[in-house]
Amino acid sequence: MADSGSWRPPRPCETYRAEWKLCRSAGHFLHHYYVHGKRPACEQWLRDLASCRDWEERRSAEAQQSLCESERARVQAARKHTLVWALRQSPPADWHLPLQEKDK
Amino acid sequence: PYVKLLLDAMKHSGCAVSKERHFSCEDCDGNVSGGFDASSSQIVLCQNNVRSQAHMDRVVTHELIHAFDHCRAHVHWFSNVRHLACSEIRAANLSGDCSLVNEIFRLHFGLKRHHQTCVRDRAILSILAVRNISKDIAEKAVDEVFESCFHDHEPFGRIPHNQTYARYAHRDFQNRDRYYSNI
Repeated sequence: MADSGSWRPPRPCETYRAEWKLCRSAGHFLHHYYVHGKRPACEQWLRDLASCRDWEERRSAEAQQSLCESERARVQAARKHTLVWALRQSPPADWHLPLQEKDK
Repeated sequence: PYVKLLLDAMKHSGCAVSKERHFSCEDCDGNVSGGFDASSSQIVLCQNNVRSQAHMDRVVTHELIHAFDHCRAHVHWFSNVRHLACSEIRAANLSGDCSLVNEIFRLHFGLKRHHQTCVRDRAILSILAVRNISKDIAEKAVDEVFESCFHDHEPFGRIPHNQTYARYAHRDFQNRDRYYSNI
């Protein structure tokens, strides 16, 4: 987490509002049920929106901490499954090479 | 927005995409819509089997997901069927192949968790279209890697159910420097 002097919310407050609105929409309920078989949980987006606005108005340290914890939890949740393959350190060597005659 | 995000993500990973170098329009056998050839780093679009602009958008997205996987990971396309299965699961999951609307058009009716059934079934079909292996082996590979690969949403960060989700995903990708430096 960056030091308090230069820190700002990871997303603009309007983004938290847009995500909350999308999460609460009927369309998202349908998509979520179609994928996961249960209703979506949208409360965290609302909490994050409140924290974001709190930080913007009062530069609240509690709001900053709450936002950081929430976003770190999202990142952890996205990374909890072990990848099937090894990630590269650099792109494939032949990506930009011209096509061989047989491939034209 | 699906394709824009994939192209940006690939450029960020060192695989800038050139239409002339990395795409080829060809006539294909059967009803295959497209493919990714890792040996030549080329996406093949089957001009005789793509039915509409919407279908083309989805095929390009699907194949770019394979290209993205090839760019960011050591995918053993030809020697490890689990790797192939993983990329096919991701492509079916993230390209819109298994949207509710597309499944209804295919007369596959199901709602609760049907998306996962569709992703599994289409991944198996895709593997069988490109590898001379038995359905049992394809199914086993898909089932072994399903949990991990179904939940790998890179570079979208979410399952993009429609253009709105894809636009939000692209917005998040463009914001990633601010995001990771402030959590």
